[in-house]
Amino acid sequence: MDVTLLDRQQATCPLELCASSVPLFQSYLGSGPIVELKRPEAYLSGDGFHEFVYFPVGGGTEFGDSEKLNLVPPDAAPGYCISRTSSCQMTAFHAAAMKEEREDMILEKMESTPGSGSRESFTKRKAEVVADRKSKDKRIKGELEGESEVKTKCSTQVSRNSSKENSKACEVRKPDYIHVRARRGQATDSHSLAERARREKISKKMKCLQDLVPGCNTITGKAGMLDEIINYVQSLQRQVEFLSMKIAALNSSAEFNVENLPIKELPSYVANFPAAAKLPAMPNLTCFQLNSMQKEAVNCMLNETMHPPLTATEGIASASVSIPEQALSSSTITQLQPFSTWNMDPQGLYNLYNMGFH
Amino acid sequence: MNNPHHLNPTSLKSRFTTRFLRALTKIRAQKPISSSSPTEIFRRYRRIKVAADKSMAYSVRSRRIWSRAMLWKLRSRSYRRQDPCSGRRSGKTSQAIMKKSSNENTTTRREDGVGFVEEADELRQLVPGGETMNLCNLLDETAHYIKCLTTQVQVMKKIADFYSF
Repeated sequence: MDVTLLDRQQATCPLELCASSVPLFQSYLGSGPIVELKRPEAYLSGDGFHEFVYFPVGGGTEFGDSEKLNLVPPDAAPGYCISRTSSCQMTAFHAAAMKEEREDMILEKMESTPGSGSRESFTKRKAEVVADRKSKDKRIKGELEGESEVKTKCSTQVSRNSSKENSKACEVRKPDYIHVRARRGQATDSHSLAERARREKISKKMKCLQDLVPGCNTITGKAGMLDEIINYVQSLQRQVEFLSMKIAALNSSAEFNVENLPIKELPSYVANFPAAAKLPAMPNLTCFQLNSMQKEAVNCMLNETMHPPLTATEGIASASVSIPEQALSSSTITQLQPFSTWNMDPQGLYNLYNMGFH
Repeated sequence: MNNPHHLNPTSLKSRFTTRFLRALTKIRAQKPISSSSPTEIFRRYRRIKVAADKSMAYSVRSRRIWSRAMLWKLRSRSYRRQDPCSGRRSGKTSQAIMKKSSNENTTTRREDGVGFVEEADELRQLVPGGETMNLCNLLDETAHYIKCLTTQVQVMKKIADFYSF
């Protein structure tokens, strides 16, 4: 594979630097996927993917800070560069040192008399690149990821110096890659585009879910979002269980007949309750005049099916906050005002309810 | 009482409320009010929970994958209770269907390629019928399911408040 890449490299890019430097690199790397050095101009000519590892050849003006480390699969077509980007954690001194090192290296390559110290460090870095690249091969193969995804992946990579211009260059080059891939006869074009479309759809849906689930504006990243969604769905399901248990317990102690309720009117009446009414915590159920047996039942149901009621209350409180308020008429508001407090005596509220219906 | 801010009679909330209240009255009519042993209350709780799920699923009809899955689960459960033989039959067909769909969809799951398999699987277990969805559909269904659950919680909370006074 190395040889064929070499051949293709030399055939398509007759740069002296490449021709002379590749065998040197070979000697440094030994076996393994080829790591090629190219001039930035050739790189800009439209080869490569936006996932790449790049070693800038030019002078120190191109060094800067950026956050991307892009890797490219070893079996990529000829003419891809290996570029390395650095994280911003590099200190100025270190950056300068690296710069010098690299410049020395590059000059030495051109003169084909490399220094020992820089060569070793260079080899080490190359080895790391190779190792990184190997670990990412399977994920990268056949996949074209969006810029943002690449950035999140690469921000955890080894820090290196590189140029911002190169990262910009690869962004500019992105539209060209389609033609490049077509030129190379790669069949993954439609697949990768479809993959990208799918990813965008999924991220759009995640954004919608972010609006639905309260309190997840701070969380970035899909995994955290999914965890939040899972927690929210679980809490909602637990709330439903808790409420059905509550209705069951209260059902048996209700003083009025449900059959008397005009069922068609009830939905609007129920809807007009102030939405801010919160469910009391477990201890407050005593105010509902449960007898001891019912309390017991409630307790064992809670132990059996749910987490501690505190979490349920928190979940319920958050849910009530997130539920949009229904429009209330002024008359019903004045009528229902007492409903918002839990300390109302049951008889008074019962009278109010009757008034509301007759 | 003339309420100018009437609820939309065709909204999910009103549909669910009417169905759920009807089910509640049925449940109350079945058992005498005086019984208040823990087991009785527990049984009633189960019935109310099933009624809530059923009401919600019927309110959504078959428009959503999760509602279809929930309706199917409820129906098969009721068949099993009525007739043990038919339950066995429906159990077999249900297993066959689930196996087939899971075989079809394990490949889609692997092809997701976004790397959230664990969380996605957990979400699939939460959302009814989620085992047969790829990530794209799963997120859609989750959004609608969350919306319906919040409606359910809101209505049940108000009913519970209602009953408690």
